[in-house]
Amino acid sequence: MDKLLDVKGLKTHFHMHGYTVRAVDGVDFSLSEGETLGIVGESGCGKSQTSMSVMRLIPDPPGKIEAGEILLRGRDLLKISEPEMRKVRGNNISMIFQEPMTSLNPVYSIGYQISEVLMLHRDMTKDDALKESVRLLKLVGMSDPEERVTEYPFQLSGGLRQRVMIAIAMACEPDIMIADEPTTALDVTIQAQILRLMADLKARTGTSIMFITHDLAVIASFADRVMVMYAGVVVEQAPVRDIFKKPLHPYTQGLLGSIPVLGEVKKRADGSRQLLNAIPGSLPDHRNFPKGCRFAPRCTKVMARCWEAEPALVPIEEGHQVRCFLHSDAVQETPAYAEVKRGQQRKWQRADRRAQGAGPASAATGADKTGGRS
Amino acid sequence: MSDTLIKVTGLKKTFPVKASAFSSKSLTLRAVDGVDLELKRGETLGVVGESGCGKTTVGRCLLRLYEPDAGRVWIEPDASLVSQVSEIDESVAAMAEELATLSGQPTKTTADKARVRALKQRVLRDKARANQLASTSDLLSMSRARLKANRRRIQMVFQDPWASLNPHMVVKDIVGEGPLEYGTHSGRELDRWVHELLEKVGLPPQAANRYPHEFSGGQRQRIGIARALALTPSLIVCDEPVSALDVSIQAQILNLLISLQDDFDLTFIFIAHDLSVVQYISDRVAVMYLGKVVETAEAAALYANPRHPYTISLLAAVPVADPEHPNELRPPEGDVPSPVNPPSGCTFHPRCRHRIDVCDKVIPVLGKDRNGHVISCHNPPNG
Ligand SMILES: Nc1ncnc2c1ncn2[C@@H]1O[C@H](COP(=O)(O)OP(=O)(O)OP(=O)(O)O)[C@@H](O)[C@H]1O
Ligand SMILES: Nc1ncnc2c1ncn2[C@@H]1O[C@H](COP(=O)(O)OP(=O)(O)O)[C@@H](O)[C@H]1O
Ligand code: SF4
Ligand code: SF4
Ligand SMILES: [Mg+2]
Ligand SMILES: [Mg+2]
Repeated sequence: MDKLLDVKGLKTHFHMHGYTVRAVDGVDFSLSEGETLGIVGESGCGKSQTSMSVMRLIPDPPGKIEAGEILLRGRDLLKISEPEMRKVRGNNISMIFQEPMTSLNPVYSIGYQISEVLMLHRDMTKDDALKESVRLLKLVGMSDPEERVTEYPFQLSGGLRQRVMIAIAMACEPDIMIADEPTTALDVTIQAQILRLMADLKARTGTSIMFITHDLAVIASFADRVMVMYAGVVVEQAPVRDIFKKPLHPYTQGLLGSIPVLGEVKKRADGSRQLLNAIPGSLPDHRNFPKGCRFAPRCTKVMARCWEAEPALVPIEEGHQVRCFLHSDAVQETPAYAEVKRGQQRKWQRADRRAQGAGPASAATGADKTGGRS
Repeated sequence: MSDTLIKVTGLKKTFPVKASAFSSKSLTLRAVDGVDLELKRGETLGVVGESGCGKTTVGRCLLRLYEPDAGRVWIEPDASLVSQVSEIDESVAAMAEELATLSGQPTKTTADKARVRALKQRVLRDKARANQLASTSDLLSMSRARLKANRRRIQMVFQDPWASLNPHMVVKDIVGEGPLEYGTHSGRELDRWVHELLEKVGLPPQAANRYPHEFSGGQRQRIGIARALALTPSLIVCDEPVSALDVSIQAQILNLLISLQDDFDLTFIFIAHDLSVVQYISDRVAVMYLGKVVETAEAAALYANPRHPYTISLLAAVPVADPEHPNELRPPEGDVPSPVNPPSGCTFHPRCRHRIDVCDKVIPVLGKDRNGHVISCHNPPNG
């Protein structure tokens, strides 16, 4: 398949006083023509900074893209000049954010704001741009678009503002649309409307989409492929069906177990309430990162070796990659790992066998009780 | 003792709003427009509806953070007292209606005027009598002292974990504020109690001396829950406690609330806009639309056989974590209309797929249907 976007070894770090935040810490992914990639993970795991890096919108200082390549149709966006990059942002990649109010300008009418993009990037005259704005508003499902063009952002509800943002993002007919939690601040009903709209636009225009969310359920019916991020790295990547039907990484499994399922029985046989299969604890602090697997402190299946070395992201099946010692012994070559001596692997295996003999490994260090869902 | 903990009857709350930014004309916004609810001890009542439907306002009225315009909030009520007072309340309402029509007439006879005077007097007298009777267990008409004693039995957890905690207070003062005010704990004992609460909500003891900004959204929500527990209340109103959180953290907080319910013998009102969350945690669910309850049912029944068209569209809006799920999302179209100028008849009619001729003319009333749901709809599907 033709790769539209190919990101390799991307590292984006923030240099704070006394410590470094490794927000994106070696991320590889690609996006094909017409494909929708879902990027999933908890708040703070690096989803937004990954997409901001693609847009080259990292605030510098304190942020810096330290390494990697971002190839758009083979051209490395990290090597082009800022004016050229500005053209890419206008013509090739556009972005929608979580909070539509902060990304719209409160003092201009929405017609003006859409027209501005059209005049700048599609060389339209003012009159044509206004006509096209009306067409775009209709495209994103606004009623009475002729009247709406004269309204200001504060006159619109959250859902309508998000529709305006999508109209602006579509205005320059981009190759790639990056949607960063576009429905997180909205009611479920309005979220469903926006998701429907985006699926509809995707079918009609063939735009490739990077859709960022913390809720796997949101992208189940929408994404072609899903990339799960944790603490700055990709931990699993697979076609959407595999992610839901056979998730391999304990983190992906935890994210799925966290979703309350409509209609599911909540009482156990003894009458007590069924708890959700939640992930204990929270993302590690950047000042105090685990040496081995980044997920080890929260993982219910942690093994001895998980504390010592970081697993590598390896393909398990066609298109399905996972970063976990349960599925492959491959180790990420990191400076920390260099300290780990040879022969260690056998020691870990012995320790694991011992642990398994003594019952399932348990490392629920977080405070939450987790309920097993049978 | 009856097993009804809270009974809300005829609750109404309006807000004055300006007609436009530059106008001095005032309009009435009906945030809550006649709500009845009943909570059994130990149960969780879910309240669900889109933004602006009046869920928070109901919750705040129960705590008297808002002063309702009308209605009663009974705490551990005596059934015969409730029916006695309700009877008077109803006759007062009928008289008030008659008064309104009479004073609306352009020309009045002397007989009319006398009738108006008599009615006014009776309304005042009966209202006072009803309030007097109700004051033993109605939070809205009881004396200050009695209210204070009862007030600690109802606590709230707020939606926004960033705005709901005082940034200038350390956690142990936030959590200990209530017990100190009510004199239930002090000194060493208070410290011990705060530590116990922090442990219960899954925070480390060191959290006691930190400020709210040092915590993540999920941890702040735990602080808010510890604060709500501090006076060992009977009822906690949880106002969208998980809407601002990631799904993973949401699951932790839902599990926490479920386990605390058993430990502390709690009754919950759980407010949210997402039916999957509400259905998960609730025993019964009330669906609200534009200030009114449009359907109440057991949580399982609401999912298995929703009756009100609004409930059906809320269910259809929940994304399903299965790429092969056949149903595509069928959310209600458009937005919630303004409660300043709600649609005529059934307020849901502009968005309803099942509407019939009467829907925009006649307001449907709540009634029990055959399968035990209480709904207000002229043409309910799935019958
Ligand atoms: N300007 C900044 N300065 C310092 N650290 C930053 C900055 N922006 C992001 N980070 C850090 O980078 C990490 C990844 O952030 P990012 O915003 O990509 O996460 P996210 O997955 O999008 O989460 P959220 O849902 O909260 O936006 C976090 O630890 C965050 O605190
Ligand atoms: N203090 C207030 N002043 C004016 N209007 C208010 C106030 N509080 C709530 N409202 C209005 O009351 C309606 C119901 O509000 P609310 O109960 O907060 O809804 P929900 O919690 O369901 O989102 C909304 O239209 C809201 O704008
Ligand atoms: S490598 Fe170990 S700690 Fe990390 S996810 Fe796999 S089992 Fe868990
Ligand atoms: S009363 Fe009519 S408009 Fe209202 S919900 Fe029922 S069918 Fe729909
Ligand atoms: Mg983000
Ligand atoms: Mg609210």
